[in-house]
Amino acid sequence: MASDQHLLTYFTTMDNQGGIIVRDAPKLDLDLYISNYQGRTRFERLLLIGQCSVPLCVDALKAAIAEAKSGKDIERYRDAWECIRIAAPNEPEAIFDQAWVTATEKANKAETHRLEAELKGYKNNLVKESIRIGHRDLGEHLESIGDLNAASETYIKMRPDASTQAHIQDVGKHIISIMLQKGDWAGVSGNVNKVLINMSSEQQNADQPYHKIVSGIALLGSGKFYEAAKCFLETGDSTVAQQYNNIINLNDIATYGGILALASMDRLELQSRVLDNSSFRTYLELEPHVRKAVTMFVNGRYSSCLEILESYRADYLLDIYLQKHVSALFSMIRSKCIIQYFVPFSCVTLDTMSAAFAKPGESFEAELVSMVKSGALNARINTIDRLLVAVSVNPRAAMQKKALDAAKNYEKEALERIRRMSLASAGLEVKGSHKASALGGSGSLPGVGDIWYDNSRTQPASGESVA
Amino acid sequence: MDKLAPTLLAVPVEGPVDNATYDAAVKNHVQKLSKILKDQSGDIISHGSNFLELLDPSVHSLSYLAILHTLLIPGPATSVSRDTLLEKLLIFLLTFDPIQCRYAGSHLHDLFLLAGGGDILPPSAAVEALATAILRLDPTGSMLTTAHVCLARLAYSTNNVEPALQAIDKNIVFFPGMANPTEPKYLCDISLPPPAYVARETGLTGTLKPPQVMEYDLLCGLMYCSRREWAKAYAAFERIVAFPTREGGVSKIMVEAYKKWVLVSLLLKGKLVDTPSYTGASASKFYGSLAKAYTSIAVLFVADDARELKAEVDKNTTTWLDDGNGGLVKEVLAAYQKWRVLGLEQIYSKISLSEIRQQTTSAETGAPLAKDDDVEMLLQNMIISGMLSGVIEKNDDGTTFLTFLSPSTNLSEQGVAQELASSAIRLKQLQPLFKATRDRLGTSKEYIKHVIKEEKRIEKSEPDPTLAFDAHVDDEDLMGGVIATG
Repeated sequence: MASDQHLLTYFTTMDNQGGIIVRDAPKLDLDLYISNYQGRTRFERLLLIGQCSVPLCVDALKAAIAEAKSGKDIERYRDAWECIRIAAPNEPEAIFDQAWVTATEKANKAETHRLEAELKGYKNNLVKESIRIGHRDLGEHLESIGDLNAASETYIKMRPDASTQAHIQDVGKHIISIMLQKGDWAGVSGNVNKVLINMSSEQQNADQPYHKIVSGIALLGSGKFYEAAKCFLETGDSTVAQQYNNIINLNDIATYGGILALASMDRLELQSRVLDNSSFRTYLELEPHVRKAVTMFVNGRYSSCLEILESYRADYLLDIYLQKHVSALFSMIRSKCIIQYFVPFSCVTLDTMSAAFAKPGESFEAELVSMVKSGALNARINTIDRLLVAVSVNPRAAMQKKALDAAKNYEKEALERIRRMSLASAGLEVKGSHKASALGGSGSLPGVGDIWYDNSRTQPASGESVA
Repeated sequence: MDKLAPTLLAVPVEGPVDNATYDAAVKNHVQKLSKILKDQSGDIISHGSNFLELLDPSVHSLSYLAILHTLLIPGPATSVSRDTLLEKLLIFLLTFDPIQCRYAGSHLHDLFLLAGGGDILPPSAAVEALATAILRLDPTGSMLTTAHVCLARLAYSTNNVEPALQAIDKNIVFFPGMANPTEPKYLCDISLPPPAYVARETGLTGTLKPPQVMEYDLLCGLMYCSRREWAKAYAAFERIVAFPTREGGVSKIMVEAYKKWVLVSLLLKGKLVDTPSYTGASASKFYGSLAKAYTSIAVLFVADDARELKAEVDKNTTTWLDDGNGGLVKEVLAAYQKWRVLGLEQIYSKISLSEIRQQTTSAETGAPLAKDDDVEMLLQNMIISGMLSGVIEKNDDGTTFLTFLSPSTNLSEQGVAQELASSAIRLKQLQPLFKATRDRLGTSKEYIKHVIKEEKRIEKSEPDPTLAFDAHVDDEDLMGGVIATG
């Protein structure tokens, strides 16, 4: 019971900090899940699960501590320890390993010095390639100890010494990796384009999976779902994509591609770009439920589609890139389903619809109202007969109204134009200059200032003499 | 009296004659009259009443006018009983011969202003007579005169709006003092456009300044407001809001009108529309800063929170009262719930009254209506006023509900055809206005100068020097060498 109490306080703090809390158990297996990744992303993912998932919290945090200790990044160890200290103070991992920290800190410092000294040596020798390698080694070291800003600066210094196309790409990839960790989505997109500019088409093809993956993530991060979906769907060769599991793995590509496409594409596009896409099929095979959800949507079985997605909501909420967008994406998919569901009908009973879509404990009608209000659903609600009625467009009436309006507007405008011409030719405009204000009577205001306002007060019907 | 009789009793023109004869005869008559007026005004004053009895104002309009003018101005003469005199004035205003009186010049105008002054005639009669007289003189009513302004002031200040409507409903497009007045050959020509004979030169109107022009529209707007004719009020205020300006000019009346325009816009359209594109740029700036209280009301008016609207209105009570807009603001509060109900039309096709009651709030109290019956009353009022197209029905189980009717079903084919036809007629009626404006502007000195200049320019620039230059370059191929070496 004591551990529950700790978890409760832990998640209350998380909630207060604005974090997302996932109470349902996800379908994923933590060990299996994390074994699919390599590099620094492993820790990020573990920590995220540790911070968000109630059932997996302690396991994930323990794994995160182990992960941090296997590396050199002290900050990360501290972060994970801060979490587990509150969540599970009785675990052995909750005791701060000061010895490891001191030792690692010392080692890190020594290593940094060594690499810097080496780099200095290379610089004295003026061997371009050595300098580049020196910078790269230093950058990689700085990245691994968590000093991302310094690492990024060091990577940028590689650029002047890059002599071949491959080198420039290498620089780009290193910088993008840092930016991904920092969540600088605009920066990622910019750098991808920079790398792409000077590339031959052959190289571009070879590197396509990488580019599509990182730009997909960047676009997803900045909320451009349709473009992001296109990127993931065009990832291409899965064996190449496999190499980038320090960023995401193949399952993620399938999930992202499928969900984003569901949220942003219409039925026709889903069929042609997702289901009939031979290169993306290999990815979809890894995540059969995504494929099933898309198929369901295309076949018009919206409630099953939503059900499948809903059952994986916990999983998606524990994904570092998808987490923030899950609710937006789900509601987009949901309203799309509702709209699509309604398309073939002129009239549907509200009960049928709520049977298909209503979530337990939530009012489906309120959702419908907001959809109709925002114009997403071109229909009217009939609360008496409990129907949703499509708005029938009557082009004839619309045309007639348009014609009448046009005639009316024409008349109005013609009169107004003649009136204005007459006013102008009679010199009756309100003039702005001081001289004119004397001529124009008490009603004219001379440009700016506040005093005029009361002075030149002219009340209507003030008995001022005419003529 | 015998000396005066032949001139005064003479009918200047008898039977249909051509313009030239008419013009000469009436001018002659006017000359004789003015001589009498100058030399024998004493006789007129003493015998005036007899002549007024003898004369028919629709035939001897000029004589009648001359006598009335002498008797009434500078003050009502004592020789005639005041009641008779005023009765005669009214009869004259209602029946004078408009063509003859075109020659009367400022005398007629003086009588108009006298009637419009509201001192001697009872206001309701004065408004009616003046409005009729204005339209007798200029049946199109398209020319603004000093008499118009007078009429509007009198009608609004004495609350006699109804009889003034015939004149103020007309579209004003002409103003006194327009440049390039065409000297009419014959003043009696019935094909003359109004600005040709109602002019400062003929004495039938005085000079107007911008504030007076705007004041007229403002008063019209206020009168329409008092009749709750929001569309017309909106148009009237808009004319002031978008009044032509020069060199960044703004006027106090424009700002006042803008405030009212914002409120009327809420009443008429349920939201604040943008000012017309031709609104002066600096005027718009002033509106933004000086009418903030009003625009913030407009923002809240389209939102769902009635209480916030009410709070905002209550907060600025003094502003409304200072600006004289308390009544309009009250109307806006009352209209809030109606517009919310209309908003429901975008969501529901049928809805029960109790749901309407829950979903809409009255801005007057800041709370939902207490009973469904109140809602029914509100809806019924809206349906009767034509604001809402819908019907209130009752279900078998006793729920009362509102069915929104789609607007397209309201108009039958014949209805549309009729509307279109009447629209076409109205457009055709604009033709004379077009013609008058075109004639006036087309013959103005500036325009003719411009045309001549344009013609000269075209003559001079032929052949086009740039074309010639191109041909030249082609011949010598100047660029050829450049490309070869580059």
